[in-house]
Amino acid sequence: MSRGVEIRELKKNFALKRWTGLRRTVTEVVAVDGISMDVPEGQAVAFIGPNGAGKSTTIKMLTGILHPTSGNISVLGFTPWRDRRRLAHCIGAVFGQRSQLWYHLPARDTFELLSRIYSLERSEFIRTRDVLIERFDLGSFMDTPVRKLSLGQRMRAEVAASLLHRPRVLFLDEPTIGLDVIARQELRDLICEWNRNDGTTIFLTSHDAGDIEHVAQRVVVINHGHVVVDDNVAAVRRKYLGAKILRVQFHEAPRPMVLEGVTMLHESGCEWELQIDTAITPVRVVTAAVLNAGSVADIAVENPPLEEVIARIYCESRKEVPT
Amino acid sequence: MTITKSASRYLWISYTAARSNLAYSSEVIYRCSFLAVILFIFLRLWKVVYAASGSDRVGGMTLPQMVWYLVVTEAIYLSAPRVASEVDEDVRTGRLAVHLIRPLSYAGGHLSRAMGDRVVRFAINLTVGSMLALALVGPIPITASGLVMFLVTLPAAFLLDFLGMFLIGLCAFWLESTSGLALIYTRTVMMFGGMFLPLAIYPALLQPVLKALPFASMLSAPGVMFVNPSLLLLKESILIQGAAVAVFMLMVGVVQFVAMQRLFSNGG
Repeated sequence: MSRGVEIRELKKNFALKRWTGLRRTVTEVVAVDGISMDVPEGQAVAFIGPNGAGKSTTIKMLTGILHPTSGNISVLGFTPWRDRRRLAHCIGAVFGQRSQLWYHLPARDTFELLSRIYSLERSEFIRTRDVLIERFDLGSFMDTPVRKLSLGQRMRAEVAASLLHRPRVLFLDEPTIGLDVIARQELRDLICEWNRNDGTTIFLTSHDAGDIEHVAQRVVVINHGHVVVDDNVAAVRRKYLGAKILRVQFHEAPRPMVLEGVTMLHESGCEWELQIDTAITPVRVVTAAVLNAGSVADIAVENPPLEEVIARIYCESRKEVPT
Repeated sequence: MTITKSASRYLWISYTAARSNLAYSSEVIYRCSFLAVILFIFLRLWKVVYAASGSDRVGGMTLPQMVWYLVVTEAIYLSAPRVASEVDEDVRTGRLAVHLIRPLSYAGGHLSRAMGDRVVRFAINLTVGSMLALALVGPIPITASGLVMFLVTLPAAFLLDFLGMFLIGLCAFWLESTSGLALIYTRTVMMFGGMFLPLAIYPALLQPVLKALPFASMLSAPGVMFVNPSLLLLKESILIQGAAVAVFMLMVGVVQFVAMQRLFSNGG
């Protein structure tokens, strides 16, 4: 498998200058501290971390916007900060909070402009544009000024615009921020579909665990400029939470049940929601006890929400880094 | 082929900016009414000045020439896009990333956008101003060669003003806000560029200094070419404009290079 993105010992320091009266003090802030990782072409990676962890700085170095203090990056064989303009033809980016669409004009005009900016062949542009209009369901508002679109429509158009030149790597920085549940799910599905069908490498940053869960195959957690976790989504969940959620629905009110390692999260009438610490009590033991507690109508064993996993990783990495 | 494609990119940005500029018809109407009010007030003022001077010429211009000069300089001044505040915003909000992700020069992208904006605004301002001047003082003699001379000095005037505003915008890398600088800059252009008063009215000692400054190249040079064209003045204007553009471009290049080294990511 070819290497889409290669990062070696990447560091970025910022000088923070402060004036105290006439005295100036310069403090060096380490934003990224020796990150190394490879992302094969076609993979969808979630790059996550708490605020100030260094993820945006890393993405901006990967796109050639920032120069690193030291270390090496290769994106599709380009050194981003040296070949920014050439690399720009092969990558796309969506910054969730910053629009690339012209506010007073319909999205169609921005698409047209982007075709000129990326010097796309006319027939190729029309073909890709039409595919994007169909797949992202943009047809009904392509000729409506962007200022009149809903946030969900605008974000679909934003992502479609960033795919117009068929980038091999797509950087998505909080693409679902502010979207409602349905719009968020639609956008995730579209990104997944494009990743699967076109083999576009996805580099996603988000604070939304749902984005990570639905879009990414791999999670890289960064904190204090270091990579603290780098694994696939399922493995991260297994490794960081030895817990399961058990939802039970009884035909009638069950008898009370007390088991070590089992916490009642929610109890109402005929419904229980239990959290099981599998290191203390295996799921099968709890299931047997539940079946003894009453007549069960429905039972489901679920993984805990990814939010909890992420929160736990953040807390652990905070403890590990000396302050 | 590559040059053609590259030029096409920037021209299309200008075209898109021009179209975007026309999206709000109410803003266009507001701008035109503002220009009409200013021209009307200044016509009344100049009438008083001409009557008080007892001469049919002030600063070498007749009253109709003075009004037409004002139409041109006002049309140029009021067509200026908000380049400084846009660059300031790019730096402050991190929107710079959206520009730098494209295969474009940052300054080139802004220049194309500003030119698209400006050409539309200037054309509208000049049309409205001309109609008003025709109604108030009548036409002045305009020759084809005079018009060509005017059109030669106009792009350099726009370019020079863009570079000045772009430089101020780049100061956002060092300053909390560039709005103060932008205000000083626009007022300096207004005062020393010869917008209200043609440079010929200023004291004789000041005139050569003002003509040599880049501000006169932004307003006075095209204004004079429109009402009183001369080959000698054109040569002088081109020389000053060329030198000013070269110096400003060098400054933009250096400041942008240093600024990009200071660029840091503030999240998002």
